[in-house]
Order: sequence, then structure tokens, then C-alpha cells
Amino acid sequence: MATIAEPVTVPEPVIKKRTRSGDDLAPTYHVICWNDPVNLMVYVTHVFMKVFGWNQQQAEKHMMEVHEQGKSVLVREGAEKAEFYVHQLQNYKLQATMERAE
Amino acid sequence: MNLVKQAKGNWQYLLNAMEASLLKDLLKKFPVTGDVPARITKTDTDPKAAEREKLLNESLVEHRQALKRQAMDLLNANHFKKTEQDYRFTLTSGEREILLQILNDIRVGCWVSLGKPESLEPPTTFPSALERARHNWMNLAGYFEHHLVDHG
Repeated sequence: MATIAEPVTVPEPVIKKRTRSGDDLAPTYHVICWNDPVNLMVYVTHVFMKVFGWNQQQAEKHMMEVHEQGKSVLVREGAEKAEFYVHQLQNYKLQATMERAE
Repeated sequence: MNLVKQAKGNWQYLLNAMEASLLKDLLKKFPVTGDVPARITKTDTDPKAAEREKLLNESLVEHRQALKRQAMDLLNANHFKKTEQDYRFTLTSGEREILLQILNDIRVGCWVSLGKPESLEPPTTFPSALERARHNWMNLAGYFEHHLVDHG
């Protein structure tokens, strides 16, 4: 036979305010490609496809941004990966830099 | 220069005798300019940025040295096969990327050495034979890059 349990007061859970981890605070960087008159448009598109694995449409969109607006933000990454991408792009002689994201 | 075959990571181009000769000349000339310091950032003043820039430039110097060796490999007869009238130029996908980097290094290097002109049109007169040559190499490298990439 079931018995009626005494009511129990469950204490309010203490929810600690979430603090940001070190990773959250690590700065991120925009990898930017800058325009110049010497790199061919088809070449720039090709390099974006190779380095980022983008399809032609996405690569062309960024290439046109570079061409028409003077620069394109290609990706936003942590320092190490942003540095890797800049190395890759500069191996192809594109004018690429990493700039701290806001 | 025309792409005639692409299968299983291999690319085969048909070059006439003049194109084959000019491409070989470009490969032999690489690098046509010295190392140009690269910047890793335009705005970041963090001391880490200076260290990153140093590493970038060291890496680029090493990369160019590797490209020089690879340029010599590309001159190998296995890549250029003479046919009756033309040359069949065969590359793997990796070698094609190497060749593009070599050609664009020549193109950009010549452009930098010419003072980074906004217009790539040839000037009416060249101050020196070297400047004329660099202008020609820049255009020639662009010609081959275009044909390597744009085969649509």
C-alpha cells in the first residue's frame, strides 16, 4: 500500500552566472583580400576556390567584391587559422592580410 | 595553349612551338625578382603581429626556394612531349597549382619592380631594356595563367 510522502521543500537551484571562457575571449581576425591591378580575375577566383574550398559562385562573389569595393572579408577566424589562410593566399601572391575583428 | 584533356587529376595542354619555348624560358628565369617583404596586417599594432609578419616572410622565402626547385622539375621532358607540330604539356593537379604560383610570382614580381603601375598598358617608351623585358614577362605570365585557369 502506497503511503503519502511528507512534502519536501526542494531548495532553489543556484544558477551561477556563466563566465566567458578563455576561448571566448580570444580575439578573432578577418582575413581580407585587397585589390590590385595585376592579379587576374579568373586567377583570384581560382585561388579562393582552392584555398577555401568554395564553389565557383561564392569565389566569384568575393572576387567581385575585391574588384569593385577594393577589398573583401573572406573569413573570420581565430589567430592561428587566419594566419594559415594569409600564408596560403600570399603563396599565390594575393594581397591578403589578417585584421582584428571588432 | 589549349586544354585538351583532363582526367583523374591529370591535365594535358596543347602548346605550339612558340608557346612551349616561351613557357620554358619563363620557368628557367624564375625567380625574375628578389624577395619582396610582405605585410600580414594593415592595422594591427599588437607585438604578436610583428612576430607573425616575420614568420610569414620566412615562410614565403622558403616557399619560393621550393618553387625554384619545382620550376626546374617542370622543365623535365616528361612534361613537354613533342608531337609532329606541337607540344603536349602534362601536369598533375598539384603541379598545375605550382605552375600557377610560379607564373603569378613572376607576374606580380615584375609589376612590383615596375613601380606597381595602375595601368598595365605598356608605356610609349621604356626607360631601360630591363623594364621592357619585365613588362613582357609580366604579360607573358598572365597569358599562361589565363589559359591554365580559364578553360570553361
